[in-house]
Amino acid sequence: MNDSQINQEQILDALRVVIDPDLHRDIVALGFVKELKVRNNRVSFHLELTTPACPVKDELREQAEDAVRKLPGIEAVEVTLSAQVRSHGPTGQNIIPGIKNVIPVGSGKGGVGKSTVSANLAVALAETGASVGLMDADVYGPSIPTILGINDQPRSGGKGMLPVEAHGVKVISAGFFVKPDQAVVWRGPMLAKMIEQFLGQVEWGELDYLVVDLPPGTGDVQLTLCQRIPLTGALIVTTPQPVAVNIAEKAIIMFNQLKCPLLGVVENMSYWESRTTGEREFIFGSGGADRIAEKWEVPVLGKIPLATTVRESSDSGTPIVLDEAGSPAAVAFVDTAKSLAAQISIRNIRAESEGLVSINF
Amino acid sequence: MEFSTPQELKPISINRVNEYDVKINWKNGMEVIYPARRLRMECPCAVCVDELTGVRRLQENMVAEDVHPAGIDPVGHYAIQIHFSDGHNTGIYTWEKLVDLGKKLTGNT
Ligand SMILES: Nc1ncnc2c1ncn2[C@@H]1O[C@H](COP(=O)(O)OP(=O)(O)O)[C@@H](O)[C@H]1O
Ligand SMILES: [Mg+2]
Ligand SMILES: [Zn+2]
Repeated sequence: MNDSQINQEQILDALRVVIDPDLHRDIVALGFVKELKVRNNRVSFHLELTTPACPVKDELREQAEDAVRKLPGIEAVEVTLSAQVRSHGPTGQNIIPGIKNVIPVGSGKGGVGKSTVSANLAVALAETGASVGLMDADVYGPSIPTILGINDQPRSGGKGMLPVEAHGVKVISAGFFVKPDQAVVWRGPMLAKMIEQFLGQVEWGELDYLVVDLPPGTGDVQLTLCQRIPLTGALIVTTPQPVAVNIAEKAIIMFNQLKCPLLGVVENMSYWESRTTGEREFIFGSGGADRIAEKWEVPVLGKIPLATTVRESSDSGTPIVLDEAGSPAAVAFVDTAKSLAAQISIRNIRAESEGLVSINF
Repeated sequence: MEFSTPQELKPISINRVNEYDVKINWKNGMEVIYPARRLRMECPCAVCVDELTGVRRLQENMVAEDVHPAGIDPVGHYAIQIHFSDGHNTGIYTWEKLVDLGKKLTGNT
């Protein structure tokens, strides 16, 4: 009789000590453990995380491995990682069924780096292995084609328009359809129609994340987007100046009124880091994003330094996360992308469990 | 009644208090009892409310005294559909709508 044989239940019990720090629940309860196999005290299983951009995936894998290794008689543990991005709400009600999460990126005014942030976050998410789309809905100044170096026009596919692929991201831009000087004459209903077409007539395919670069401020594009599809939550881009808070708040108030949750704030041009000493200088003042975070109870998802290379990379058509991977600004973007992905997972997991209303009638 | 944040705009459970009336326990700890006939009178559907003007078409004398929910189904993560004893079931009652009604019923705004 082999009395030291470990069974599946014991392994699952051992794995319950591993808590996802963002979701605050153990990996067994979260349903992450898949394909658990035990043979002759050799254990293998799969951890299916909620995003390939999970900031703590290596820690989770190590902890899971350790937890099982501690059981008596275990000879080998093999953990593989994968990710299944959770969807925001029931996908059936979405007019774009293949898209799991839609994340509008807004700001109170132009020039804060909204497009720069949108493009770098989209590319950073795609780099982790997620499927990512980027909708450039800024009719007044569509800059995504420049930042991502796109010269092609979208082609038509079987059912609609095919987005243009750039740096691993599927892109549709208002810039494909309007010249900047035309934008002035756009009226509400035309804007609404364009957004509807971007949503309904573009063959996005399956997307984990669709990032939407909005026009600055508040207006018809924001309104249409919020009314037409369920949004996972908005990201607000701001600069560190104390006065920027008031401006960013206009966008925040609009999202609140439109019942679009806030995922967090990104502070751009946050500080300047000396290349030689590594010292940080807060040229534009500081604390803008922190103040917003405190007042509106949303997390600061990242602070991006001011760096000439950010602009130069964008101008050359390769965003800095690829152009100068490893540079402080690129690292800040990658970390911000991971925090964003984590925040989305938190929201969706919470909605899944809270959505389970018990009805006895 | 405090229904401050959007997260709290969600029920935990929806139950029967008696043969007719509906009890909702909200995430923030509040419990509201919704009288059966009042729910029918508040139906937000296009038959009961003029979509353009927002004026309620449904009048008191159009609804039986003993009308009551016969069944309740969830709609997504955001609402319920109530099947009434008079066969009417086109109203989608969102959490928001039910919270607003709860405020009226409990005299809290
Ligand atoms: N962190 C940064 N460091 C240096 N330049 C930046 C940074 N973020 C944005 N920029 C530059 O600032 C300008 C405005 O950025 P952009 O993303 O177009 O703003 P918005 O979309 O909010 O109008 C661009 O020239 C861009 O390259
Ligand atoms: Mg822009
Ligand atoms: Zn009705």
